[in-house]
Amino acid sequence: MSIEVQNIIKTFGAFTALQDVSFQAPTGELVALLGPSGSGKTTLLRIIAGLEVADQGTVLFHGEDATDRSVRDRQVGFVFQHYALFQHMTVFENIAFGLRVRPRTLRPSARDIRTRVSALLQLVQLDWLADRYPAQLSGGQRQRVALARALAVQPKVLLLDEPFGALDAKVRKELRRWLRRLHDEMHITSVFVTHDQEEALEVADRVVIMDKGRIEQIGTPEEVYEHPATPFVYHFLGNVNLFHGHIHAGQARLGEFEIEVPEYADAQDIPAVGYVRPYDIVVERHRNGTPAIEALVSHIQRIGPLVHLELTRGDTGDLIEVELSKERYWDMQIAPGERVFLTPRQLKVFVHDH
Amino acid sequence: MAADVHTPAGSTERRTALQDPWLVRWSLIIAAVGVVGVLVIVPVINVFYEALARGAGTYIQNLLVDPDTRHAIVLTLTVAPVAVVLNVVFGMAAAWAIARYQFPGRTIVITLIDLPFSVSPVVAGLIFVLLFGLQGYFGPWLHAHHLKIIFATPGLILVTAFVTCPFVARELILVMQAVGTEEEIAALSLGANGWQLFWRVTVPNMRWGLLYGVILCNARAMGEFGAVYVVSGHIAGKTDTMPLRVEKLWQEYNLPGAFALASLLTLLALVTLLVKVGLERKMHGDAAKALQSTSAELLLDARSPLKESA
Amino acid sequence: MSTLNHRILPGFRLSLSYALTYLTILVLIPLAVCFAKASTLTWDTFWGTVWTERALAAYELTFGASCAAAVVDVALGLLIAWVLVRYEFPLKPLFDAIIDLPLALPTAVAGLVYSSLYVQKGWFGQFLVPLGIEGAYSRLAIVLVLTFIGLPLTVRTMQPVLATFDDETEEAAACLGASRFRTFAYVILPTLYPAIVTGFALAFARALGEYGSVVFVSGNMPYKTEIAPVLIVARLEEFAYGEATAIAVVLLVISFSMLAIINLLERWSQRYGS
Repeated sequence: MSIEVQNIIKTFGAFTALQDVSFQAPTGELVALLGPSGSGKTTLLRIIAGLEVADQGTVLFHGEDATDRSVRDRQVGFVFQHYALFQHMTVFENIAFGLRVRPRTLRPSARDIRTRVSALLQLVQLDWLADRYPAQLSGGQRQRVALARALAVQPKVLLLDEPFGALDAKVRKELRRWLRRLHDEMHITSVFVTHDQEEALEVADRVVIMDKGRIEQIGTPEEVYEHPATPFVYHFLGNVNLFHGHIHAGQARLGEFEIEVPEYADAQDIPAVGYVRPYDIVVERHRNGTPAIEALVSHIQRIGPLVHLELTRGDTGDLIEVELSKERYWDMQIAPGERVFLTPRQLKVFVHDH
Repeated sequence: MAADVHTPAGSTERRTALQDPWLVRWSLIIAAVGVVGVLVIVPVINVFYEALARGAGTYIQNLLVDPDTRHAIVLTLTVAPVAVVLNVVFGMAAAWAIARYQFPGRTIVITLIDLPFSVSPVVAGLIFVLLFGLQGYFGPWLHAHHLKIIFATPGLILVTAFVTCPFVARELILVMQAVGTEEEIAALSLGANGWQLFWRVTVPNMRWGLLYGVILCNARAMGEFGAVYVVSGHIAGKTDTMPLRVEKLWQEYNLPGAFALASLLTLLALVTLLVKVGLERKMHGDAAKALQSTSAELLLDARSPLKESA
Repeated sequence: MSTLNHRILPGFRLSLSYALTYLTILVLIPLAVCFAKASTLTWDTFWGTVWTERALAAYELTFGASCAAAVVDVALGLLIAWVLVRYEFPLKPLFDAIIDLPLALPTAVAGLVYSSLYVQKGWFGQFLVPLGIEGAYSRLAIVLVLTFIGLPLTVRTMQPVLATFDDETEEAAACLGASRFRTFAYVILPTLYPAIVTGFALAFARALGEYGSVVFVSGNMPYKTEIAPVLIVARLEEFAYGEATAIAVVLLVISFSMLAIINLLERWSQRYGS
């Protein structure tokens, strides 16, 4: 079942959490809502779930208007950041809860419930913990129980609020992959909220990047990483180098570099900034005809298969970060204190005052 | 040299710089124990001593043989539980409304719940007499319908409920706020309706707090004197609760009888304390600390409306 | 956590309406009736009742005794709280638990046993009466029993403040050369002021309304040992409802003022952090 939100506006008193937000999650996709705290992603998720009511806008499930439906009627599975497991019930009873509270006419028999719950326990690989209480489980185990509990009622849509936020790094990585595999098996339309870009890029089919109540960009992980649409996305996903300059009549001059920017054909000498990723910069010992800027290598750090260089620009003294593969670094034999010449492979120009 | 580990105040190992001299320490301890001994412990011992002064046989006799005393025991055991149940139902409703929602007038409702705490018991009794007594507002109507509230059990229940109204409610509000609503929302998202949510998730989560409120409420209800005194008309054998009966026996200079009955009430108090301490331990750590300081407030007095985000 | 809209969690209307109905029937209407009845009296009659010599004596006693008891409770409460928080000794948990007894014990029992302890033949009275200290059927007796009743209130108000007091502040004082006593007087005690005041207010308010225990120990002699609630009961038994109500209204107004003051004190002490 697909999810669509249209023109959602939500305020809490004087604070606007969501300003005219719209996006779509096609059936069977795993979508990540990614952004810093305060971006409104959790609020948006809760509006989809029916746990908050938007001031304006619509929520559609499979094309049908669900905006006025109560959370009970939406058939969404919600997984909370802090699990919200029922402390006084065993794991089994937790998972069975959704089935047991169904109205009599729709309630499965006790035997059916048992079968269903056991199947889910096996799915999340916790069948040996059925009689334990949540307090006796680890964080990762609790989260899997929470997931199983949400899946027990066969929801059309699965919503997860920072599901791995409360876990330590290693467990987080394991569960993240496990969630991806689970989704590949079950194909339920899922939306999850996270502030961890690595998580979003690794797990999701589609990423929605949000900041301050607005959507900055929607796209596949590759799209948003390789072709960021706004400065915010550039800054938020990975590192970025900035080159300041001006645009005049469709031409951007950023220090030594000139680049065509036809979208600003009638711009009259306005300030602009060029964004470049550290791995999109070519390092050469000597000038070779293409425009390049001079920089002094100040710091070299080897991190696994990559090498991070920190350089200071010759002309402005700004800091530049460059990422090289190990092989390239060995080829060049660069040492701190040396002078090199940098050329960006790809540069995206934005007009704004930062 | 003192250990480097930072020990919280009140822990068993105080660092050397903070140790009071041995003499000071033990003088203070003895003084404190002495004070509590004189004020609290000796009186308790005295109750049992006087009750058993004429032997165990007379003791049992005093309690079981005298029909008025027997009736008083039964009456208290009827009135108090009913008042407690009424207040539990109220407490649950009030706690749900107050702990789970924001609405205009919320502070006023909380203050209203606190009010009985600050009303003197005698005044409490008086106002019900004004309402339901023969010369009261509803007096003639009740008389015409042959209904008795004042000088009868219903009046006792009403006034006891009034006086103990805040106990369960206050406790449940605190517990519900401490537990939070996440599990309830989770239950909602899984398809539970209001009642299922309440009975399967909310109540089990607050069962210890509920028990705590109930035993405090019960202790107060069984021990209430002033309000019941005014409302009951102290007709021996009919409207005397245990505390009233103690007073009557005392007036009649039947000290062994009075003390015998008093010893029962003291036993009740001691059991209440025992259960209370047990519950506090159960409700672990800082939750118990919060309870300790609130039981004082709960059992008798008015405190400010709870500090929630407005 | 975002505040919950009552459209999300069910049961708002049901719970609130039940609670309000209950409160209206049990609390609001009776209180309103009290004030209504008092207002049927003419101003003169009202003042005539609440300002008689006997009534004034009763207020004076009620206030005086409650105040005295509250002061003693604060002093004793501080001592006991200090010992509980800072020292270890055998059977301390038992000691800690028994302090709450006055809260759980029916006031009639307190009155009964206090009257028996301090009479001439009583356990304490046999020593005190020859010294001229009348612990029963006197004003002292009232203060004594009110002290008993209010003790846990002050102890439990001050205990948490002492328990969360930061060791390091004390150590700083010690480093700077302060003796233990000076540290206590100038560093620790000031942080207790809010708790002391709150404890006093609680004990005072509690004592103001107390009836059950005082009835046993005071002797209820008008003008001498008659507290205000006893006066109300006396008027009631004479079927002088109007006058009883008048005095009750005076007590109510004072009680509600105490409630408001305690609220403010709470807020003030919260600002200083406890």
